[in-house]
Amino acid sequence: MKKIHVRFYINEELNELDVQPNRTMLSVIRDELHLTGTKVGCGAGECGACTVIVDGKPVNACLVLAPEMDGMHITTIEGIADHDGNLSPLQKAFIDHAALQCGFCTPGFIMSATALLNENPTPTRDEIKHAIAGNLCRCTGYIRIIEAIEDVANQNKGGAN
Amino acid sequence: MKEFDYLQPKTIAEASELLAQYGKAAVLFNGGTDLVIQLRENLIAPDYVIDIKHIPGLDQLAFDQENGLTIGACVTVARLAADDNVKKYYPFLAEAAESIGSKQVRNRATCIGNIVNASPLCDTGTPLYAMDAVVCLESKGGKRELPISEFITFVKRTAIRDGEIVTSIRVPYVEGARGVFTKVARRKEVDLSTICGTAVKIKDEYHLAFGAVAPTPVRMPKTEALVRGKELTDQLIEEAGKLARTEVSPIDDVRASKAYRLDVVEVVVKKSLRALR
Repeated sequence: MKKIHVRFYINEELNELDVQPNRTMLSVIRDELHLTGTKVGCGAGECGACTVIVDGKPVNACLVLAPEMDGMHITTIEGIADHDGNLSPLQKAFIDHAALQCGFCTPGFIMSATALLNENPTPTRDEIKHAIAGNLCRCTGYIRIIEAIEDVANQNKGGAN
Repeated sequence: MKEFDYLQPKTIAEASELLAQYGKAAVLFNGGTDLVIQLRENLIAPDYVIDIKHIPGLDQLAFDQENGLTIGACVTVARLAADDNVKKYYPFLAEAAESIGSKQVRNRATCIGNIVNASPLCDTGTPLYAMDAVVCLESKGGKRELPISEFITFVKRTAIRDGEIVTSIRVPYVEGARGVFTKVARRKEVDLSTICGTAVKIKDEYHLAFGAVAPTPVRMPKTEALVRGKELTDQLIEEAGKLARTEVSPIDDVRASKAYRLDVVEVVVKKSLRALR
């Protein structure tokens, strides 16, 4: 089995690696790059815990083969706060709204919602629900998560918190 | 996941040659949303994985009135669902594409992959069956085209020959065509269809295509003949619904019983025809 040379950006940093083809992008992110904010859940594209943003779009890192990473611009949860460690408005809203309990699904939700807000800064409640349908949370019942995202949408509209 | 070599052909000819050379030891790899799971579960254990996403031109998504819509092999269902021409001229296809999986899955999964998988419940299948779409194949030996109804031959089986690649699907343009896509599933999002169906009004004809009701998606020739050229009265719609039940052969499975599926087919046919009259 030949290793494949891949060159990609992760959280704006250029990386070059030789990867085994029978690994997933998720395993490279966690085990090679040691970015463990991206979680391993179902491994089958059902739960969204491994969601990362690739070229502006949310994808399940568990369903991408490592050699496919060549040329990708990948953002993980570690790349959401700014360089000084200031949390994004969405991350702050998750805290303000207590939109998490155990926190395992949170990185995936933040990635899905960040991609949504980048594409559509003022989504409706239905658009929010549709965008996070691929993320499972077993603690919160989703309401607080939706409210946190809605809060940022309202901030983007220039409305009151 | 078993070890394999990952190959990235840059032309269709090269991909076709690799397929011919390695035969059953190779699989074509596109969006990967089904294949990675099969690899991971060792349901398949190929020696070669041939990624076709580096072949220029396969990501084409084009529309004109003469040729209709051309969906290249690597066009994701997210792109299909968001495309202005698809939304304008084939809104029921856009809806079907948007009903698949989750946002994350739609950003990777392709329409052609959905068809080549040949699941009886493929969501983009029924709009394509209703529009008499054509599957375009290419190999070293040349090109050929097949109506989609001849392309999918059984559960998980297609008419693809050794060394052949599906390069695109063409959907004819018919002026004034209107359609309705319906997906019935156990929950609103991220679920497989219990029943999916598309009804399209084309001139004085109604094309009815259903999925998850037989080994392949099916059209309903008797029901279509019953309503062709006629005014859709309440009574005729009622008759059409009853007749439609006789044109499908659903099974009991984890998602629903045969009896439930028959009832739902009748309801969806009637609702769709009412929406199109």
